[in-house]
Parts: sequence; structure tokens; C-alpha cells
Amino acid sequence: MSDFAQQVQALRTPLLRFARAQLRNEAWAEDAVSETLLAALEKPQAFGGQSQLKTWLVGILKHKVIDQLRRHAREATVLTPDDEADLDDALFAADGHWRERPQLWGHPEQQLRQRQFFEVLEACVQHLPPTQGRVFMMREWLELATDEICKELAITPTNLWVLLHRARLRLRECLQERWFG
Amino acid sequence: MIRLRGTCREVTRLVLEGEDRALTSGERWVVRLHMVICMACPRFERQVRLMREAMGRWRAYGGGDASEG
Repeated sequence: MSDFAQQVQALRTPLLRFARAQLRNEAWAEDAVSETLLAALEKPQAFGGQSQLKTWLVGILKHKVIDQLRRHAREATVLTPDDEADLDDALFAADGHWRERPQLWGHPEQQLRQRQFFEVLEACVQHLPPTQGRVFMMREWLELATDEICKELAITPTNLWVLLHRARLRLRECLQERWFG
Repeated sequence: MIRLRGTCREVTRLVLEGEDRALTSGERWVVRLHMVICMACPRFERQVRLMREAMGRWRAYGGGDASEG
């Protein structure tokens, strides 16, 4: 095996981790990563060497991940009971006021300087219900506009707003509990 | 129907939607007016801002690989 092929293969594990975090399905993640490695090995000359190999591969992976989401759009948007759960009633009283005032999280610079914070953040994203996690990652990791997400997954904007709303509130709860609490 | 200053629940929804779409000028006014009179929602807004910065930094680490960063 060439050096290049070895270096590419060695990055399989971290790539698989990204793919799993986004797709939340083992088979789809395996497919996305295999297609990424294959694309890289078929066209090694496309790697200019200006960026890190991993950054380049992650760029390819993002496209392959979107292909998977498109292909499995129907399954990828099935809502589990967890996906359906709304936190709003737990957070707000009937009159629309907070039951409990949100806590102060301190200065972003201080929090975000700590590596452990990002481990907690990653764990909290992983703990989102599957479909919430997929749309949240499409928005935040793949950086897709909301209309693109709707198009790829064939869902309505209203469905997407609701899922993103729930995901962001859950992420906030998780961070409050595991990091700021 | 959102009243002029909105409830915390309504304003929270708008703050979150502001992460994913441009709010209308009417919605922005509702949020701004509410923030002046509410003690709780400005904290929520700062939390949302921190989460946004955190996700940006997480992406920059190389696509969700903070633990190796």
C-alpha cells in the first residue's frame, strides 16, 4: 500500500466518528466513510497538500453524508417518542413565564477555553434524540441553510423549526446539567 | 397571537428561531421590548449566544473532533 493510502486508511476511525454523530445509523455511517475513502484513493492528485489530509477528507465526507441523508430521507426523519417530546411545558408555567429563571453561564471566553467543555458539548449533541440530532448537525456541522435541509429530507419548514427548537432546548438542558450545574 | 412584548415562552421561541432564520422587524421589536422588562430572558439569550460560539469553535476543531483538538 502506498504511503498516501496508509495515511488515508489511518483516518478511518475519526471519520467514522463524525459520520456516526451526524447520521446516527451505523450502516449509513459505514457507507459514507467507505465512499469517502474510495473517492480519496481514486483521486489522490486532488489532495493539494495545502490543508491537512484530515480536513480534506472531512470535506469529502460531508458530501457523502448528505448523499446518505438524501438516500435515506424517509427513515432519517422518523420521529421516536423522544424526538416528539417538548421541553416547553417543563420550562414554562401556564402564563408563559419561566418556572425557573435561566442561570448565568459565565463568560464565553472562559468556558470555551476549556477542552473538557467540548467533550461535554459533544456528548450532549450525541444524546439528542436521533432525528433532532440529525437536523441539528445538518444545521451546525454541515452548515446547511434551513431550506436546503427541508429539501434534502423532504420535510416542511414547520417540522424543521419544531425539531431545531426542541434540539436547542435539550442541548441547553444538557449543558446546564453536565457543565454549568 | 404574540402581544406587543410577548411572554417568555414566545420570546424564547423567537430567540431560538433567530438562530435559523432572519426574524421579521416586528418579531425583533417584540424581542427587544421584552428584553428590557424581563430578568430571565436576557440570560437565556446569552446562553443561546454561548452555544452558538461553542458550535462555531467545535466546527473549527475539525468537524466535531474536539477531544483530539
